[in-house]
Amino acid sequence: MTVDSGPLLRLPRILIGSAALFLSLSSPVFFAAPCVAAGSSDTLKIGVLAPLSGPYAAGGTSFAQAATLAVEQANAEGGVSGQRVTIVVGDTQGRVDVAKTEALRLVSREKVSALVGAYLSEETVGVMEVAAAERMVLIVPVAATAEITDKVRQEYDRYRYVFRVGYSLPQWAERIAAFLSDRNVARYAFVGAGIRWNLELGETLERIAAPRGITPVYTAFYSPGNPAFDTVAVAAAAASPDIVILADPGRNSVSFLKRLRETAPTLPALSIGGALGDARLAASVPLSAPVYVQAAAWRGVSPAATAYVELYEHRYGAPPVGYSDTLPYDAVTVLVAAWRKAGSVESAVVVPVLERGAFPGVAGTYRFDAAHQALWGSGPGALQGTFLRWERGGARIVFPSPPTVH
Amino acid sequence: MAPPLLQVLLDGLFAGAAYALMAAGMALILGVVKVVNLSHGAFFTLGAYVAYALAERGIGSPIAAAPLAAGIAFAFGVFLGKSFVNPVRSHPFALTVGTLAFALLFEQAAQIVWGPHPLSIGAQAPWIGPGGLVLRRWGVIAFLSSAALLGGLKWVLSARPGLPLRLIAEDEEIACSLGMDVETIRYLTFGGACAMAAAAGALLSPSGAVTPTMGRAPLLLSLVVVIVAGMDSVAAIFLLSIGLGILGNACAWFLSPQWSYVALLAAVCLLLSARPAGIVALAGRRD
Repeated sequence: MTVDSGPLLRLPRILIGSAALFLSLSSPVFFAAPCVAAGSSDTLKIGVLAPLSGPYAAGGTSFAQAATLAVEQANAEGGVSGQRVTIVVGDTQGRVDVAKTEALRLVSREKVSALVGAYLSEETVGVMEVAAAERMVLIVPVAATAEITDKVRQEYDRYRYVFRVGYSLPQWAERIAAFLSDRNVARYAFVGAGIRWNLELGETLERIAAPRGITPVYTAFYSPGNPAFDTVAVAAAAASPDIVILADPGRNSVSFLKRLRETAPTLPALSIGGALGDARLAASVPLSAPVYVQAAAWRGVSPAATAYVELYEHRYGAPPVGYSDTLPYDAVTVLVAAWRKAGSVESAVVVPVLERGAFPGVAGTYRFDAAHQALWGSGPGALQGTFLRWERGGARIVFPSPPTVH
Repeated sequence: MAPPLLQVLLDGLFAGAAYALMAAGMALILGVVKVVNLSHGAFFTLGAYVAYALAERGIGSPIAAAPLAAGIAFAFGVFLGKSFVNPVRSHPFALTVGTLAFALLFEQAAQIVWGPHPLSIGAQAPWIGPGGLVLRRWGVIAFLSSAALLGGLKWVLSARPGLPLRLIAEDEEIACSLGMDVETIRYLTFGGACAMAAAAGALLSPSGAVTPTMGRAPLLLSLVVVIVAGMDSVAAIFLLSIGLGILGNACAWFLSPQWSYVALLAAVCLLLSARPAGIVALAGRRD
């Protein structure tokens, strides 16, 4: 018997149409989340922009959770001049256009007094334009591209409302280079998702690490949507680096690290971008070689950090990853502290306060330079961040040396 | 360590086997139920979450999770097939959108139940083959499972038990006139295909992260495979899947990792534009 494949052959046209429909319908609009909270007239609203859906939904959710926690903490301390603070969350879905639209919605419809976000550099650069046009304070927690602070430096009058609490790319690269030097690394492989901050960080790290005698032997970026893990893992191992730097803030981190462990079980890895700060993920990766994670703060670094971790864990049932949650928490904390110091939420009053003040947070005390960049580094008064190593039973801080516990 | 290129091509073979595992069920649904089932990836995800739930309870073997995942997915699939697919079948576009809606519903439900954060099952060490070749366990499992599954499917379709399926795929009216219960066969087939997807999800779960949207990429790749190969040549599905896996990895190696997926889809587009009837017709095996 032969089978007439005619009916089957007619299917591709339907298939292609359906696949196109699937792609468009599964795009952000379908996943748009409603705002988390709406304040009344006696509350101050902070607009939080984070990807609650899409490939960075995990980081975005932690982002929003941490912002919520910071606001709860602020209200427990009396709010701002007796007024309660609430957040309204806009789901950016990891897309520039959606991030800008959501920022506009938060400003025009939700009447927020300031913005915190976004998550990716691409999104944040778009949101900066909204903040500049609306003359509204924007605190940037995690987006690292140099373009953010470059714009503030070059067009101060337009972008003076933008402040970044997270590390800039040169600061980030400097911290990584210091860690690599501490571990006696001479050759590294730099791999990760092909997104903007990764591409820029790879180049910046190469430039900053070179004077220390540390050079890249392999650099590759994979597509976040359908990553070629196998090839990158094999090629990275074949280049015989001392360590693989894995730059990926998303779900692909753990998948890649598993591939790397299968290919080269004794090759150390450093995860940046926060994903592998999740203890549940780290527990599933073989520790046949060190797995290091960079974080803005970690339990044990300071009393404030330990208190924050315990608070977060108590509230959400799992400890923070130390990056995509800790920095947004500090962003909201810094903003509320500035409002309190200024006695106002008016941008014209708050901006000078942010420029001149010092604001304690979980990662340390935040001060901003002329480009409105928080000071991270190894100098006095700078925020240092931390590097930890996963071990059976938990993480151990390895750099900078942990404070002695008395 | 084995020569890197050899390792990359071997990994491509494993990746292709994973595509085949998904494509097998997709082909069945397309051929017999004649539905573009955009919820197929959701069943893959369901299987992975079942494996994760078992791993949390100390049963870490994905091989143990696969039958349970398949059973749950079969029940869901039969329910979906009976309550939605069969009644709406005369409106193909509405049906396709409906399966998409189910997929999105499942993703949201998974996010509510397990959260948006990626989860992960401990991966076992790979086997080391001749010359230091790394044989990833999940890859070997995917290869053997897809070969067995597609081999079994080929046997069923070519033997007497597969006659109703072939007949329904060819002409439902004749099947009805011969006294076959077409409706029942359709929803049982739908359930069986969903079970295959869930088993694939469970078997491959240790290879990466378990997330609510993890089924999307395999769904699209399996669609591509089935478009090109068609349902009536099981061997073509297997070989094409393997070929695409190897091609994707080869492109990543020789061009750039970011270009592998693009190159893979471009190759499929070229193939389809040259041979719209697909590779089976190319080989002269279509009637």
